Amino acid sequence: MTLSQLAITVAVLGGMGLVVSRFGLSAIPAYLLAGLLLGPNEPHQLSLIEPSEVTDFVAKLGLVFLLFFLGLEFSFSRLVGTGRHVVVGGAIDLVANAGLGLIVGVVAFGFSFAALVLAVAIYVSSSAITVKGLIDFRRLGDDETDLVLAILVFEDLVIAFALGFIAGGGGELAETLALVARALTFVVVGLLAARFLTRPLDSLLDRLPREFFLLLTAAFVAGAAALAAELGLSEAIGALLAGVVLAETSVRGEIEERFFSFRDLFGALFFFVFGLSIDVDAIGNVGWLLALAIPLTVAGKIGGGYLAGLVGEFSRRGSFNAGVALVAHGEFTIIVAQLAASNPQVSPADRADLLAFAGLYVLATATIGIVLMKESKRLGRRLLRPRLAPESA
Amino acid sequence: MTIDLRETRLPGIGVKYAFTTARGARLVVILHNDGEREVYWYRRRSDDDPRAVIELHDDEARELGALLGGAFERPKIVEDLEMALGELLIEWIPVPEGSPAVGRTLADCAFRARTGITIIAILRDPEPVTGAQPHDVIQDGDTLVTVGKAGQYPAFRKLLAEGPFEDA
Repeated sequence: MTLSQLAITVAVLGGMGLVVSRFGLSAIPAYLLAGLLLGPNEPHQLSLIEPSEVTDFVAKLGLVFLLFFLGLEFSFSRLVGTGRHVVVGGAIDLVANAGLGLIVGVVAFGFSFAALVLAVAIYVSSSAITVKGLIDFRRLGDDETDLVLAILVFEDLVIAFALGFIAGGGGELAETLALVARALTFVVVGLLAARFLTRPLDSLLDRLPREFFLLLTAAFVAGAAALAAELGLSEAIGALLAGVVLAETSVRGEIEERFFSFRDLFGALFFFVFGLSIDVDAIGNVGWLLALAIPLTVAGKIGGGYLAGLVGEFSRRGSFNAGVALVAHGEFTIIVAQLAASNPQVSPADRADLLAFAGLYVLATATIGIVLMKESKRLGRRLLRPRLAPESA
Repeated sequence: MTIDLRETRLPGIGVKYAFTTARGARLVVILHNDGEREVYWYRRRSDDDPRAVIELHDDEARELGALLGGAFERPKIVEDLEMALGELLIEWIPVPEGSPAVGRTLADCAFRARTGITIIAILRDPEPVTGAQPHDVIQDGDTLVTVGKAGQYPAFRKLLAEGPFEDA
């Protein structure tokens, strides 16, 4: 990738992001689409950028920053405040959608590791798109918004766990279990370190002049990611943990402020580079899979959210809104597919299918999800009239 | 009657406070992490769409909060902060430019005797004066920390800005 290619890429990303945000859509599918158009696969007319070591590295940086920020949002004191819906609502959402995802996965890949990856990719909604929708469509004041955000927190926890094995698991059962054990050890050691490191890190970072603060924080994040990769885990889990460690320090706000722009730039490039690898020709392979997965996702997310809402004693319409808000898939589906594609245990053919599926699936569900969300209150009024009298009467 | 205020954390967004008014409307206030505020008004408790949403910047929200809190005597100077202590207010009042009080001691100015307002501290660079004494001299750029009743402030502000003070 040359500087002029970078300039064109970033300009296209900015332009397309602006256009879709005019229509109230999320930028993530736009970035994927940009990658698809400018990439080496069909359509060829605009092919401009070949995936290379440079694009891979840029994407890796994007992945690291995206997960670093997820970690920063993660601190336990914040989790506790989100309350009772996390466990019950989160569990219903998990059972419903990971279950459906596993069915799709088994249909596509048989009883294999790739099926499990697909289940995770189909289970996890997009925090970024959902939160943007909640803000844009003025849903923050609604009761059921608490439930939606609680379910997203639960999904984040599951994803943090899944990151531990997706990049390396899938070999012999014993090997995969050993990997999971290593991931758990890494996380536990990291969390213990968080307890003891918080204070020294805090006083160190607090006293540093601006530019060294930036450099040392970046070194810490990259170091944690590299260490995790070195241990055979994914960079993702290392970056996530670096965020968790720094989340409890007093400089958290400043870190967020200083690194927002890095996350936005490299995050956009991460989705773009992923788009480069999507081959529209593969739609022949995954078309029927998409046709199966997309309706199941819409039904599963709405159904699961509706049920979670009723259990949490929200109104019927509120519960329906909560389910609809979770339809959009985005960053995590892409991250999961990206990590699985670097896993040697997944066969090259399955990898290509996974990448194409994840990209097109996100394009579809992100668009459907936002459109449904915009209309969900009107739909709810149509479908779910308030009961005037108890039905048994 | 106490109001049942429900607080919920919105991970990644901020904090949300909700309560139902005596007339049955529901008010939800969102404090965004970036300092923005939103107020949602649902006409009835069971409404699923808000009738109005008000978006406020940090300074606007403070102004509105002080207004609603009953600080109607509040002057327009933005950097003033105030706090109601029952009947009493604590106000931070910058000394206006060209004030005749500059260069005089607190004793000379006799604010307490003439307006009822007591000056308890003076904020200035580099060292603030805590526990202001009668012999402390007011300087250009000072901010006076004062205690008094709301009704006494107009007279105090007028005196601080215009005098007259007797020559020392």
